Amino acid sequence: MTLPVAARIARRELRGGLRGFYVFLACLALGVAAIAAVGSVRESITAGLQREGAVLLGGNAEMSFTYRYAEDAERAWMARTAETVSEIVDFRSMVVVDRDGVTERGLTQVKGVDGAYPLFGQVELDPAVPLADALAGNGAVMERVLADRLGLRPGDTFRLGTGTYEFRAVLTREPDGAGDGFGLGPRLIVRTQALQGSGLLEPGTLFETKYRLALPPVADLPALEAEAEDRFADNGMRWRDARNGAPGMTRFVERLGSFLVLVGLAGLAVGGVGVSAAVRAYLEGKTAVIATLKTLGAESRTILAAYLIQIGALAALGIVIGLVLGALLPLAFAPLIQAQLPVPAEIGIAPGPLAEAALYGVLTALVFTLWPLARTEEVRAGALFRDAVGRTRVWPRPRYLVAILALAGALIGVAAWFSGVPALALWSAFGILAALGVLVLAAVALRWGARRAARARIVRGRTALRLALGAVGGPAGETTSVVLSLGLGLSILAAVGQIDANLRSAISQELPEIAPSYYIVDIQPNQLDGVLDRLQGDAGVSKVQTAPMLRGIITRINGQPAREVAGDHWVVTGDRGVTYAATPPEGTIVNGGEWWPADYDGPPVMSFSDEEAEEIGLKLGDDVTVNILGRDITAKVTSFRDVDFSTAGIGFVIAMNPGALQGAPHTHIATIYAEPQAEAAILRDLASAYPNITAIRVRDAIDRVAEVLDGLAAAIAYGAAATLVTGLIVLIGAAAAGERARVFEAAVLKTVGAVRGQVLAYFALRSALLGAAAGSVAIVAGGVAGWAVMEFVMMGGYAFEPVSALAIVLGGALATLAAGLGFAWRPLAARPARVLRARE
Amino acid sequence: MTDPILSLDDVTLTLAGNAGPVEILHGISLAVNRGETLGLIGPSGSGKSSLLMLMGGLERATGGSVTALGHDLTAMNEDQLARFRRQHMGVVFQSFHLIPTMTALENVATPLELAGHRDAFDRAEEELRAVGLGARIDHYPSQMSGGEQQRVALARAAAPRPHILLADEPTGNLDGANGAAIMDLLFGLRDRHGATLVLVTHAADLAARCDRVVRLADGRVAAQEGRRAAE
Repeated sequence: MTLPVAARIARRELRGGLRGFYVFLACLALGVAAIAAVGSVRESITAGLQREGAVLLGGNAEMSFTYRYAEDAERAWMARTAETVSEIVDFRSMVVVDRDGVTERGLTQVKGVDGAYPLFGQVELDPAVPLADALAGNGAVMERVLADRLGLRPGDTFRLGTGTYEFRAVLTREPDGAGDGFGLGPRLIVRTQALQGSGLLEPGTLFETKYRLALPPVADLPALEAEAEDRFADNGMRWRDARNGAPGMTRFVERLGSFLVLVGLAGLAVGGVGVSAAVRAYLEGKTAVIATLKTLGAESRTILAAYLIQIGALAALGIVIGLVLGALLPLAFAPLIQAQLPVPAEIGIAPGPLAEAALYGVLTALVFTLWPLARTEEVRAGALFRDAVGRTRVWPRPRYLVAILALAGALIGVAAWFSGVPALALWSAFGILAALGVLVLAAVALRWGARRAARARIVRGRTALRLALGAVGGPAGETTSVVLSLGLGLSILAAVGQIDANLRSAISQELPEIAPSYYIVDIQPNQLDGVLDRLQGDAGVSKVQTAPMLRGIITRINGQPAREVAGDHWVVTGDRGVTYAATPPEGTIVNGGEWWPADYDGPPVMSFSDEEAEEIGLKLGDDVTVNILGRDITAKVTSFRDVDFSTAGIGFVIAMNPGALQGAPHTHIATIYAEPQAEAAILRDLASAYPNITAIRVRDAIDRVAEVLDGLAAAIAYGAAATLVTGLIVLIGAAAAGERARVFEAAVLKTVGAVRGQVLAYFALRSALLGAAAGSVAIVAGGVAGWAVMEFVMMGGYAFEPVSALAIVLGGALATLAAGLGFAWRPLAARPARVLRARE
Repeated sequence: MTDPILSLDDVTLTLAGNAGPVEILHGISLAVNRGETLGLIGPSGSGKSSLLMLMGGLERATGGSVTALGHDLTAMNEDQLARFRRQHMGVVFQSFHLIPTMTALENVATPLELAGHRDAFDRAEEELRAVGLGARIDHYPSQMSGGEQQRVALARAAAPRPHILLADEPTGNLDGANGAAIMDLLFGLRDRHGATLVLVTHAADLAARCDRVVRLADGRVAAQEGRRAAE
């Protein structure tokens, strides 16, 4: 009988309308909408990437090789399997333009193509000429950013290595561009044939070949992949196919999407505080009703069920509003979103993310409303007859605490499961819970401190301040909910600010100070002495480091396929730089085993980077097989060494004894540490004397990374801002809920002689104190989170960034001040007699 | 010789109601002498509390004038009225109207602070001891009984040593014993500080303790009786 009766009571109570529940609905709707919108966009992009897989990849499948073209057996298999095969050569080089005695150079990522390119999709050019015409003879197309930087107009000529080419059109759309991943230089396309004689594809030069296959419609991609891997993987072949045409992009979108969903969850947690406060306020107003129902014979569980049904119905309404918003917002902004994306995305309504967001909404609503709902059991019938209203036990009964903990665990578990990055989700949940814990403690400390301060002699006579401190420290105030909701929103913003500032500082300021000015790659062995002669005689050059460089793929570890041993670790998923040396290079710290003797002439041996070795479970004495130029070299690991990649100097995961690699065609890499004023002359001399080499200016590369970081930071800041908006809604809700109490306080204060200025100063100080406290806690919480991320995730140093921190405290204080003052008008204008008599 | 501290001249009060304007008081003229205790009695809705609010400047008369200590309250703005009250008036309500976020001591000290007294807290503590709450000065209203809350309200009203004490059914929410104790305190405070007391009450025995009783009916003075009649 309990449930039908409870349902009837709930229905009657709900006839009162939504008054008092707008903040509840807004908090839940906003949190659900943010998660649903992010999820929908992520789903649309992922679907687009899958649908357009062949176009993004440039073929139904792709086989790629480093340093070499496909061998006869590989070509024969491709010819047999595919309807059409297109060969692409991809490498970095320098575009050189001579104009009026001035030479301009620009780093570029060159794509040499054949007549079959592109197998899928269309290349778009400006002017709109056919690609075949643009590339005829020595024709070339390039991205606008490169053409503009070098001042090239269609018809102008430029050099690549020792070859001369004619710029014919701007490349406005490269269908397989997103699938190629991150490149340091803008794209340039020429015919591979036209590269002959340019000196750019000499033995040992770093280049990659990609064979795109147009397969018959009946082709079985998994079977073909297995066959190709079986036949050619040990020769350094890498396989990709249209099932995931742009794996890097897919991974990036999924990771960013997951991260934003987690930020959205933080927003939902902030909203949860508002939801909880709204339910608590509503139920406190219902004390008399509950007591009456109990007097009339209603059991506690009937009353709990009645209010659970009411809150459940309202939560359902909030979630539905959130889902509608979350589904419609991406549709409304579809053209804007699509214009910002480098990948195809057909924005639509995606049921999966909507269901995910709804689940988060339901769990959050339950976690945050069960506590105040459970307290309805504590209302006694006697509350009607004596002054016991509001004096209920703070802690719900154990069974409710267990239920709340179980639901919170379920929420975290669901987030970990859906995000695909459980570690990140669990750490985020830990961070949010820790921040909430810190904020609860801070609220308690603030109330205690304010109470003490209100009684301090120093504030006596400063009536507005004492009143404000008394109100912040007193019972039944909004201190806890404001500190929690605004504090959590500001904490997330502070953490993002600290991480962003530290990353930017590391990349834009610290790295250039310790990083070399240039990397020079593709130095042929016979050019090394000449390069060193030029550099060592230059007073502006402080240091030059060189190393032989090859690229290879780790194919086996102790005879087992490397992927089976090391999974998807980055060391085994692509080709890696490999060097050789007779003695440990300067600064090498061997921290396991021993480096081989300088005159070692035995079977191949290897020194491996200690950190990566530990990550993939490599031990001294293990055999590692590396495929270089199609040839397997198996070496025994005899030492581990510390490789510091953070300085951007020369760092190779794998070093071998010279005898193992010296015979293979290879080039050298050089890092040049030079004064900024010496850089231009070095580049000019080296590039003129050795046209085949490529100089990568580190500062340009850093700028490129910083650009990517800008986009990421913006996306995350939007997410954090959504959280803050929820915090502000909770804040406004708290201010609105407190308006009645403020009206009463103002009336009493006026009665005992306070003028409006004093009342206003009291309200303003009260709000500002709360905001400043929430902001201050946010700085500590954000700082700790920033330190943890920089120290343990980024493995970098952390320095407190004061500007954003100060802005956050000020922002917090101003936000609460604005919300508080926004609701001060009625209390100030109200006539004391009316207010006080209304409460008689 | 009479010395009116409060005088009302042809005062009317009309309030906006749901069904249109409601006339609460109709042309009331009344004077209260310095040091006098005046009881206002009458049935519910007769306008007793409204009249008291007008005397305290808590409500604004629609017509006529209210003069206190020679100042025309009807000519003052909100802030001027507040300053006047902090210097000259103490008000006690039926529902106590303590600020829930303040302790007893802070509630009592507030009008003293507003009036600029440097020893506000010492005086507030003294006042609380005088009403028998010396041990409860750090308690919040929610931690006190109704009788205790009304004692705090009395202490708050009396602490600035007002010339005029206005009490609106101060025992209305209390049981008999507590009510009697509060009335003893109220009259004791008046005697101690020599203030003029205007008391709104339903209880005839309480009204009988006043120097003079004014009976209101339908917003008009229906009768006056007492040891000293107003001029």
